[in-house]
Amino acid sequence: MTIRMRIIIAAIIQAAIICVISIFGYLSFNTILSKLRTIEIIDDLNISLLEIRKSEKNYFLYSDVNALKEVVGRGKEIDKVVQSSKKEILKGLGPKTYNVLGTNLSKYLELAQKVISTGKTPPHFGEEFRTLGHELTRLSEVLLKRERTDVNNRIQNSIFMLIISLSAVFLFQLVVWQYFFHFIIKELAIMGNLIQMASQGKLHEVAKQTISPKNELDDAIKALADMARELEKREAVLLQSEKLASLGILISGVAHELGNPLNNISLMAQGYLSLYDILGDGEKKNFMADILTQTDRISRIINNLLDFSRQKKQELIEIEPGNLIEKSITLVSNQLKITNVKLHKYIEPDLRPIYVDAPQIEQVLVNLFINAIQAMPEGGDLTVNVGQEVENGYLIIKVKDTGLGISKEDLLHIFDPFFTTKGTKGTGLGLSVSYGIIRQHHGDIAVESEEGKGTTFTLKIPIYQPKEKEEDAQADRSH
Amino acid sequence: MPKQIVVIDDEKIVCNMVQRILTQEGYEVETFTDSTQALNRIREKEFDLVITDLKMENIDGMDILKEVNQLYPEAKVIMLTAYATLDAAIDAIRERIFDFFPKPVKIEELKKSVKKALGS
Ligand SMILES: Nc1ncnc2c1ncn2[C@@H]1O[C@H](COP(=O)(O)OP(=O)(O)OP(=O)(O)O)[C@@H](O)[C@H]1O
Ligand SMILES: [Mg+2]
Repeated sequence: MTIRMRIIIAAIIQAAIICVISIFGYLSFNTILSKLRTIEIIDDLNISLLEIRKSEKNYFLYSDVNALKEVVGRGKEIDKVVQSSKKEILKGLGPKTYNVLGTNLSKYLELAQKVISTGKTPPHFGEEFRTLGHELTRLSEVLLKRERTDVNNRIQNSIFMLIISLSAVFLFQLVVWQYFFHFIIKELAIMGNLIQMASQGKLHEVAKQTISPKNELDDAIKALADMARELEKREAVLLQSEKLASLGILISGVAHELGNPLNNISLMAQGYLSLYDILGDGEKKNFMADILTQTDRISRIINNLLDFSRQKKQELIEIEPGNLIEKSITLVSNQLKITNVKLHKYIEPDLRPIYVDAPQIEQVLVNLFINAIQAMPEGGDLTVNVGQEVENGYLIIKVKDTGLGISKEDLLHIFDPFFTTKGTKGTGLGLSVSYGIIRQHHGDIAVESEEGKGTTFTLKIPIYQPKEKEEDAQADRSH
Repeated sequence: MPKQIVVIDDEKIVCNMVQRILTQEGYEVETFTDSTQALNRIREKEFDLVITDLKMENIDGMDILKEVNQLYPEAKVIMLTAYATLDAAIDAIRERIFDFFPKPVKIEELKKSVKKALGS
């Protein structure tokens, strides 16, 4: 869901909550108003009843029939009011109370009417009449009190509800904004990470972010990954043209490298032919042996060239760095034995696995070891340090020697194909092949050297990031 | 007194073969696989002919050529190279060179050229 949609939905929910609260407020306000009207009516009724009781008292004091007539007159008025406000009173008091009130009033008035029309007072009339009158006033007072308490309660409830709903709206706001901040900040953090990775040149890592965009920030992340992929492609093209440029160097290198042994063979053969008659058997044998050495030399050059141009697809496997290092060391153990070079290795425990073409990386390590050994003809220390930079996602291998070192001038060329300072003993392909392999693994190879002190080569190889982890991260993001 | 020849090439076989053939022809031949040593020797002794490889470590054939031209205007220089580029040939000719042989060298031609150079 896009962020825009999420914000709109949050706003709609909030508006709905406010609507409900308003409706509720309006309704309770209305009930309170009608209750107040009922109270007014009951209050009037109460006053009228008190008036009636006054006339009733006058009757008993002066035995004046006119007072009774007043009672009846007022009573009828009350009855009229009760009838006309039946709805309000019913609503306020309920049918039961209304009926009691009605029956009592009519009984009361009936008694009075009877005395007026017959002119005589029945036995117990005084007592009965007073009781009814008293009951009427008591009833209306109780009602009044009850309604007042009710209205009070309702007002208090409304205030309480209002406070609660306002707090709810406030809380909702808080939660919604918290959610948005959290969500947006999380995505921004991912983006920041990617940008940082890209700036560190780990385009491959960035390009790996395959994400199906669900919101605007995902779009931005996807754009970043796309950009990295595009850059990576361009880099590959550049690498290709770098290779083409070095093809010239390569070809002249091949010409020179092969030219020498070919010339040697040719010379030996010509010499053999022209000196045939004067050569002794031993010499003839030596000539042929020399020719064989030269053909071996040619095949060695050709093998190295094949390594160099190898288009073979990488076969990546997950492997413990420790194993890889040990294997490569075994491959040079013979050289170590016959020279005065002492090997020191420091391999950090708990190294993360790497995902590489193992024989290729072994080849790189062997190249570095052999170079180091060759740089120490008088012997020395070969130190192999293996560690990791987990935060940057790299395995770090340092190969350090205490050999001749490399001059500033030569440092510029050691990765060029056929650059060698070893004459016919080296083809000058070791480092350029290694460089190619490491670049293909999205790693890095760097060198530091001081003439007469020694040289350190540093390899950086990406740590293996299992697929599931990536997918988890993506699943996280899409929530 | 036989003519004095020095052969300089970092390939041992070239030195040996050329020495062998030319000795056979009656010349006196010294060889060097290290061009620095060769230059030192040239500075102390005049040779009639210098046969040198062009591309060598340390001091290359062009350096030797220049040095010989400066020290011994009479001496001849023949250049061998596995790395026959036009540029190298032009540079060499500009510097007064007697002959230029791309590798693989033909022994018979080399013999002829040597004979011509030494006027015998
Ligand atoms: N550890 C080192 N110490 C000193 N110099 C080095 C070292 N490693 C490489 N070099 C220099 O870099 C050059 C190129 O090395 P590279 O491995 O590419 O070729 P090489 O060792 O000469 O030949 P090859 O590896 O084909 O046998 C070497 O000739 C040497 O001058
Ligand atoms: Mg090497």
